[in-house]
Amino acid sequence: MFTIGRLATVAGVTPDTLRFYERERLVSPAAKTPAGYRLYDAGSLRRVRFIRTAQHCGFSLAEIHELLKLRQDGEACCADVRSLAIQKKLRVEQKLRTLQAMSSALDDLIRGCEGDGSRTDDCSILHALERDPEAGAT
Amino acid sequence: MTIRIEVISAPGCGKCATARDELRSIAMSVFGDRSVTWREVDVIEELPYAISLGVLNLPAIAVNGELLFASLPTPEQFRGTLSGLKLP
Repeated sequence: MFTIGRLATVAGVTPDTLRFYERERLVSPAAKTPAGYRLYDAGSLRRVRFIRTAQHCGFSLAEIHELLKLRQDGEACCADVRSLAIQKKLRVEQKLRTLQAMSSALDDLIRGCEGDGSRTDDCSILHALERDPEAGAT
Repeated sequence: MTIRIEVISAPGCGKCATARDELRSIAMSVFGDRSVTWREVDVIEELPYAISLGVLNLPAIAVNGELLFASLPTPEQFRGTLSGLKLP
C-alpha cells in the first residue's frame, strides 16, 4: 500500500493532483488508515499512470472518464476505443490547422514590418491589426 | 443530377455499420437509386479530407462536399434534411 505522498512520488504527480483526481472520481484510495489517511494500492498506481498518459495524448478528464467506462463495459470493444482516439486526433488536427493559420498570419505581420526605430504610430503591424478583417487585403 | 453522400467513419465502428444501411436506403428512397452517389470514407485513409470537412465526431455525413451531419443523425433527422435539399 502507498500513502498519498508515496504514490505521488512514484507516479510523478503531486498529492494535490491525487486529491483532485479523487474529487473528479478518477482515482479513489483503496483504504484509509484508522487515522483517516488515504492508502492506495498497485491498481491506483496503474490508474494514475493511465490518466497521465491519456492526458499526454490530449484526452480531457471527461474523455478519460469515457475511456475508463469503455474499459469496464463488457459490451465495448477495441474499435470503440480506437474511434475515441480517432476523434481526439481529428480535434488535435483541427487545432493544429488553427495554429498554423495563426502562425501564417503572424508571418505576414512580421514580414510587413521594418522593425526599425520609427514611432509606433507608423508601425505596420499595429496598422494591420486595426484594419477591418472583412475589408480584405489592400 | 446526382447527390453525393459521404459517410465518414472508422472501420470496425459498430454503430456506424448498423446505421449505414438504414441511412443509405433512406437516401435512395428520397432521391432514387440513380441520383445518389454513396461513398464510405475511411477517416484514417482520408484524414486530410475529413479535417477539411470539419469532422470531429464519428460517424459524420457530408452531402455534396459539405458536412451536414456532424454526428450520427436519427433516421427521421436524415430523411427530413435530405427531403429539404434541392438537387444542384
